[in-house]
Amino acid sequence: MSTQPIQPAVRHGEPLLAVRDLRVTFGRRGEEPFRAVDGVSFDVRPGQTVGLVGESGCGKSVTSLAIMGLLPTRGNTVEGTAVFDGEDLLSLSAQQMRDRRGADIAMIFQDPLSSLNPVIQIGRQVTEVMERHQGLSRKEAMPKAAELLERVGIPDPRARLANYPHQLSGGMRQRALIAMALACQPRLLIADEPTTALDVTIQAQILALLKDLVVETGTAMVMITHDLGVVAGLCDEVNVLYGGKIVERGTRHGLFARPRHPYTVGLLDSIPRLDAPRGEALSPIPGSVADNLPWDSACAFAPRCSNALDVCVEKTPAWEGDDVVGLRCFNPMGVSR
Amino acid sequence: MSDQSPQQTPARTSYADRRKQRLDALARASADEEGGVSLIVSAWRRLRRNPVFLVGLAITITFVVLAVIAPWLAPYDPAARPLLDDIRPQTNPVPGPEPGHPLGGDDKGRDLLSRLLVGSQQTLMVGVLATLFGLLGGVTLGTVAGAFAGWVDSLVMRVVDVMLSIPSLLLAFTIAALASRPSQWTLIIAIATVQVPIFARLLRGSMLGQRASDHVLAARSLGVKPHAIVFRHMLPNALGPVIVQATLVLAVAIIDAAALSFLGLGNPDDRRPEWGQMLGAAQPYLGQEPHLAFYPAACIIVVALGFTLMGESLREALDPKTRR
Amino acid sequence: MTGSTGVDTARARRTAAPGEVLVEVSGLEVHFPIKSGIIFDRTVGHVRAVDGVDLTIRRGETYGLVGESGCGKSTLGKAILNLEPPTAGSVVFDGVDIASLRGEDLRTERKRFQMVFQDPMSSLDPRQTVEALLLEGMRAHGLDTDKSATHARLRELMSAVGLPPAGLKKYPHEFSGGQRQRIGIARALSVGPDLIVADEPVSALDVSIQAQVINLLQDLQDELGLTYLVVAHDLAVVRHISDRIGVMYLGGLVEESEAGELYDVPLHPYTRALMSAVPVPDPTLEDTRQQILLTGDLPSPANPPTGCRFHTRCPWRQETRCDTERPELRVVEVDGASEGHRVACHFAEQIASGEIEPHEVAPQTAEEPSWGGPRDDGSPFLAPDGPPVP
Repeated sequence: MSTQPIQPAVRHGEPLLAVRDLRVTFGRRGEEPFRAVDGVSFDVRPGQTVGLVGESGCGKSVTSLAIMGLLPTRGNTVEGTAVFDGEDLLSLSAQQMRDRRGADIAMIFQDPLSSLNPVIQIGRQVTEVMERHQGLSRKEAMPKAAELLERVGIPDPRARLANYPHQLSGGMRQRALIAMALACQPRLLIADEPTTALDVTIQAQILALLKDLVVETGTAMVMITHDLGVVAGLCDEVNVLYGGKIVERGTRHGLFARPRHPYTVGLLDSIPRLDAPRGEALSPIPGSVADNLPWDSACAFAPRCSNALDVCVEKTPAWEGDDVVGLRCFNPMGVSR
Repeated sequence: MSDQSPQQTPARTSYADRRKQRLDALARASADEEGGVSLIVSAWRRLRRNPVFLVGLAITITFVVLAVIAPWLAPYDPAARPLLDDIRPQTNPVPGPEPGHPLGGDDKGRDLLSRLLVGSQQTLMVGVLATLFGLLGGVTLGTVAGAFAGWVDSLVMRVVDVMLSIPSLLLAFTIAALASRPSQWTLIIAIATVQVPIFARLLRGSMLGQRASDHVLAARSLGVKPHAIVFRHMLPNALGPVIVQATLVLAVAIIDAAALSFLGLGNPDDRRPEWGQMLGAAQPYLGQEPHLAFYPAACIIVVALGFTLMGESLREALDPKTRR
Repeated sequence: MTGSTGVDTARARRTAAPGEVLVEVSGLEVHFPIKSGIIFDRTVGHVRAVDGVDLTIRRGETYGLVGESGCGKSTLGKAILNLEPPTAGSVVFDGVDIASLRGEDLRTERKRFQMVFQDPMSSLDPRQTVEALLLEGMRAHGLDTDKSATHARLRELMSAVGLPPAGLKKYPHEFSGGQRQRIGIARALSVGPDLIVADEPVSALDVSIQAQVINLLQDLQDELGLTYLVVAHDLAVVRHISDRIGVMYLGGLVEESEAGELYDVPLHPYTRALMSAVPVPDPTLEDTRQQILLTGDLPSPANPPTGCRFHTRCPWRQETRCDTERPELRVVEVDGASEGHRVACHFAEQIASGEIEPHEVAPQTAEEPSWGGPRDDGSPFLAPDGPPVP
């Protein structure tokens, strides 16, 4: 079951979620405003899993929080549109957004312990979502909650309903969170580093579960991660983010077989791989994010880029491509060396 | 996958080489910029732009300066009774404002403005010294408890718990009352004693936090001597919250000092004025002449506010969550 | 003792040939008491974080210790350096039993074995300049007697880890994560150690920075002839950097082998599961490979399963021996397995030959003391400590 291959990306049909030119700026008193997300656009179609990949500070998590309306409003500005099912999520009121969250769009977070309320039983937390969005009574919701827990692979689900979060292990907590996210059969699931806090064997369980769920329920998923390995096994489409912009996009097989942006290539070259022969030296990406240039008049990655040309520090590279494949680079790898 | 590698391999080698050269250059470049800014300096830079801190600082400096130059600034000797002739015990027990005496006099015919000015000396001294002694005692106990841990810690903390279980003003009152002859020193000692357990508990807690921290483990693994670990690594890092607490406690100490003086446990010699004692002396006239109490009370409140504003903004500046 | 003699003895000892045993760990145990009680603490049990580990590290090699959180690998790393006092067992480092050293003897010996920490921010005192941080260890061991030599040494350390000398005057918070880890490494090198225990040295760093630090560690090893014990959860990193690898599960080693061989011929069921769980950035491989999904959670180290610690989750578990007899590390006769390849599994040969097939395992959670599988006796008692390995 776990090795079931993913179907090729479904490209037909209207996008379920269309994010256009999303910009998020953090401003704090007495400090320079910081643009965390700088014009991000992508589509998610029904049944599709879209990956947002990048390192810390690339804006991947902020993107998801902005779409969900979960960024603190004070001092932050969110521009652009995120059209979900014909409705711009970014222009909804707080009340309208609350009705959407958990019902149509659900989110899974990185740290399962801090995402669960420590003083409320698991069953109560799962049923709460259904009570709120589907108008079920607690009595009606409880058996459904038990079904959900069973569905996400929690053994002895009826007994677990009465447990508190601290009584479950990390992997079980993440399963409980996934159950909560699935409670109202959302059409879009946003998973923000869902396995980063977990051990590899537990990560494998959770990823297998997510894969199965996507196939079974047909829900669309946005997968946010720093781990290219996770993306390779799970996502139909991959977006690589750097410094708040998408720098490369490709289908799962296309991107990994033929990465073109020097940053994507650098990432792939700098991680040791279990499937590669031993003894090859790694080629790290030099410098750190602190060396970035502002996108306004350059490519942010240029100072760390081995392929950089003069133009890279003079102009902002434009996005060339569409909603399936694209690149933001003056001098991609494997072109003019 | 495999059909891709042959054509990519040669290109990647040179790519890797060029990268390796850039690596060193970049590592050097970005570490080479201006620097050497310690946490304290960067906290100060933040503080300098914080209006709350500046207001607190302005208030505090104003009062400290006033206290220092009070003897020259005060128009009259606070013990002299230039307004004695104006007192009419039946109709006018307290002389009102008149030319040369903008705030009027007190019930003994002494110039109120001069007494307020000179009184700031005593009040600030009691507050500052009491807090300093309290800090000294608390830091000593807290360091001992946090450095040795184990049964030493348990013993010290039980004593501290007992002290904390007594209401602080009651404890200060008892200590001050036990003194054979009340003076400002009994006041200072009483208030300092009350502060000791507060500082001790706070420091001990943050010392134990430091003890478990990675950088202390790193120092241990380096083979740094135990006393150097305590005094170079644990104590300086643990002191932050205690210093913040001290500025806040200063305000409380001044209020406590006023309270004890008000109750007559301070310096009985009313020729050397003190705000709390002035408040106490104003008590019989609260109904007719509230300004006698108002002026010293206002001074106490404003000074306490100044220290509190400074303390709060200091806490904010030192809070790791607000660091960049 | 003066600084120069200290250096000389260290040098003299270091002339010994590479390849000989530098560290010999035997029967190492670290048990943390579980306390309970309001006024008087009572010990109600023990968390067996490290429960009888034997391993040897040879001079000049990199030994990788891999396992999941809670398996005791970090505690083992600290116990080897006696930063976490072992409950039992010995750690013989170049002829001296570190585990039995205390106080000043231990402190002076520390210059020979150092540690690199996971989180470069929290492991550097924020109030000290880099210079003060690097000087501290040298001062503690009397290596700073000559002023100009010390100064030269500081610059040498900085350049060894790829940082400019101007960085000496700066504070840790003024550096990026990768640069901080370089400072941490320079600090470990400052006292001229033979052994460095690196506890998750790259897991707190961004992916693109990890490779920089890994390469630096390898370059330094080549240059200075260092011996490493690298503790990490990332199998790919461990495989890349290590010569030999030990796999830990619930306080004990379950397999130990030369790095390449471990991945080619994994013998322990846990090792197999662990490796099959690591995602690989190659979609074709991801789609086709067979994963061994473990069910259930890591059992509590306060109440470890009887017999083989892994038998509650093992897809190859047999009805006999597995739940009653704790397997010891042993060399097995399997194709491709060399002499140094040891595994703690009763049925390693049969599993390797395919004689025993994997089967479904009913999942059980860590909190459940009882378990669902067939079992002969329902004895609620804890397993007694395994016999001490001679």
